[in-house]
Amino acid sequence: MKEREQVQEWLEEVLPKVSKPLRYLGNEYNAVKKDWQAVKLRFLFAFPDVYEVGMSHLGLQIIYGLVNEQSDYLMERVFAPWTDFEAELRARGIPLFSLESATPIAQFDCIGFTLQYEMSYSNILNMLDLGRIPLLAKERGDEFPIIMAGGPCAYNPEPLAEFIDFFVLGEGEEIILEIGAVMAAHRAKRQGKQEKAVLLKELAQIPGIYVPAFYEARYDQNGKFAGLKANEPEIPSRVVKRVVKDLDQANFPLKPIVPYLEIVHDRMMLEVLRGCTRGCRFCQAGVLYRPVRERSQKLLVEQAEQLAQNTGHNEISLTSLSTSDYSCVEPLLRDILNRFEGRNIGVSLPSLRVDSFSVNLAKEVQRVRKTGLTFAPEAGTQRLRDVINKNVTEEDLLQVTEAVFREGWTQIKLYFMLGLPTETYADLDGIADLASKVLRRGKEILREIGSKKAPSITVSVSSFVPKPHTPFQWEAQDSLATLQEKQSYLRTKIRERGIVYNYHDAEISFLEAVFAKGDRRLGKVLLEAWRRGCRFDGWSEHFRYESWREAFREVGLIPEEIANVPLDPADPLPWDHLDSGVRKEYLLKERERAYQGQTTGDCRLTTCSVCGICQDLKVRLLLRKGEA
Amino acid sequence: MLLCLQYSKEEEARFLSHLDLMTAMERGFRRAALPLAFSEGFNPHPRVSYASALAVGVTSEAEYLDVQFREELAPEEVLVRLNKALPRGLRVKRAVPVSRRKESLMALINLACYRVKVPFYGWADGNTGVRETIEKAMSVPAYLVQRQGKKGVRQVDIRPGILELAGSLKEENGEKKLVLEMAVRTGSSGNVKPEEVVEMLKALGSWRLGNNLRIHRLGLYIYAEGKKWSPLERT
Repeated sequence: MKEREQVQEWLEEVLPKVSKPLRYLGNEYNAVKKDWQAVKLRFLFAFPDVYEVGMSHLGLQIIYGLVNEQSDYLMERVFAPWTDFEAELRARGIPLFSLESATPIAQFDCIGFTLQYEMSYSNILNMLDLGRIPLLAKERGDEFPIIMAGGPCAYNPEPLAEFIDFFVLGEGEEIILEIGAVMAAHRAKRQGKQEKAVLLKELAQIPGIYVPAFYEARYDQNGKFAGLKANEPEIPSRVVKRVVKDLDQANFPLKPIVPYLEIVHDRMMLEVLRGCTRGCRFCQAGVLYRPVRERSQKLLVEQAEQLAQNTGHNEISLTSLSTSDYSCVEPLLRDILNRFEGRNIGVSLPSLRVDSFSVNLAKEVQRVRKTGLTFAPEAGTQRLRDVINKNVTEEDLLQVTEAVFREGWTQIKLYFMLGLPTETYADLDGIADLASKVLRRGKEILREIGSKKAPSITVSVSSFVPKPHTPFQWEAQDSLATLQEKQSYLRTKIRERGIVYNYHDAEISFLEAVFAKGDRRLGKVLLEAWRRGCRFDGWSEHFRYESWREAFREVGLIPEEIANVPLDPADPLPWDHLDSGVRKEYLLKERERAYQGQTTGDCRLTTCSVCGICQDLKVRLLLRKGEA
Repeated sequence: MLLCLQYSKEEEARFLSHLDLMTAMERGFRRAALPLAFSEGFNPHPRVSYASALAVGVTSEAEYLDVQFREELAPEEVLVRLNKALPRGLRVKRAVPVSRRKESLMALINLACYRVKVPFYGWADGNTGVRETIEKAMSVPAYLVQRQGKKGVRQVDIRPGILELAGSLKEENGEKKLVLEMAVRTGSSGNVKPEEVVEMLKALGSWRLGNNLRIHRLGLYIYAEGKKWSPLERT
């Protein structure tokens, strides 16, 4: 194709000028380059952030691997180009192109965006625009690719409803081949062409697919959201998420792409389990990825062997939302360590529970290198930790840190959240006190064991963002001024040497809340903000809060009315038609228990709390206790 | 056993930094399941030592590394297995067992040969010919270039470090190019960059040259006793 040659020629000239040219090559080890003429459907996986972030995402490798295993389909990749590369593209009028074959993205049959984070939405518009694809779904005719999107933010995708043709709810590997089959059959009947209006109707019949154009949002006379309704007869009134029943049967990428440049998570990813039922009430992932499903140890070890052979990485990460919860984590860890120690392949755990068991695990995996350890008590007082259902006590934390210091670690990072429901300044004092206690304990122990090093504590504080499908979905976020005031207050409280205090940009958290909870009207704001140059909003150096404010003014929406006002449980929510499998009545019950400071146990360890997942989705917890 | 490998860094890999290249090589060795030897201590590293860091954007047909294996292996087998496991743009061309070196490979290498393509926009005043222009430029006793160091800018005389320099004009895709071939000092005993040689020719020759250079390394040598030795044959 002529365009490809043009792009190649242009790349020759531009790559030496831009930062990190390796982001744009697409010839990494295990990248799949297929013949365009030999397949029936061409997918493009679009990650609306920079290469190093996107390539660290396991979901990309899973979907890419699965689609490219099919002889009838191909899948290529594109990431948000960094601002210097974008400037070069625009200067020369080169359309955004795929990495593998340098094909302009508008020539694909279907482009799938992954929605990992609300603050990447402006990049989606920017990528479509760079690809010369009309931004509004209704302005894209049959000749343009179908634009789909999935991932956690698809559980309230309303701010993107005008731009995306259809959303996918749930786990992509469960549904992507069904989408492919419908699309391929549709095109086979039409000499390789598509009729978008018909195709979308066919796609809407697949469980888990939500086509926003077939639904109408209603507002009452005061402009308040009054619900969403299907406007066509054969369209489902509710869309239920798709779930992989048995992780052992699911496709897992054993030949993942190995990047040339260092990415955020530059290691093998071995997914040991999916889901988490600890039940933290602010946590969206804990709801969306239910039920807990473990992969068997035997399969995991086999997969680790193959990954090591096929990637050459020197580190294996046992990934999941909470790896220390894997039923057989100790035997698994020992097996993998023994197997790979001789090859100098290390093992890492992404997150640690606050208990001594986890410290033992950390001790095992970090036999050689002692990097810092991170724990997340999330709140400063027992009262507030009970409210959020974080079942960690101060004594747990102190015991754990004691053990950690005794083992020779000196750096501990503590994660907290600020602005949680019912929070008072006493809870903020609690954060400072807790950090101080940990530091003091550290000093004592290091002195005791004769270490000359001083302990170093990092207190990292993010702001609470109420998320859809959680018990806190009806909550108001603290106003921006309050969040900033609390951040400053904490700064005056944390003054000791040996404690580093850092916090996230509250303006970003505020917009995150607006887009997490917002409805379709936000589409106009997004468009305006993008027109004003907003992109890479999750990156502080690119975030332009003033432009966002202007966009809201222009459209006539007040963001505070979305982020900072509590919702009435009796009112419809913009995401009520999207079903995570967890019942609203359960979320309400959990909300009530939060206010009463009552905790709820993990259903793996205590009784079923009837969240609805196993009852309604015909799935079950899949633990691998005692299995070899 | 210690093997010296000659490898190329081709078009597809030319944007790898030296660090990226070392990572890519280690992953290649691991995928090929070759029994790498590791350093002792806190943070074990594979025992691979590189001859010279190649700048980003530069291609080469003769890079070298020494690699230590825990077992004896046929060099031919290493070459075949590694080439199957390396990413596009990196290729091993020769593998030769070597004895322990007196110094590290990087310390021994002191001469590099390059081919540089420079856009040629014509003569500034009358045609004097490439050879004459180069001869004239090379006849200066000294040529100072500015180098940015940690302690600020310093001046370095590059002329003694240019051992050979020749050029010719070629037509490539309808564009005229000055194609230079040069042998220059590299390493701690004096280091000359090909860009600096071009800078000198621009200043001293009566021609108009462009900035968009394509640099290709032709070889790395141990220059001793008036002779160029390949690191594969001299330790």
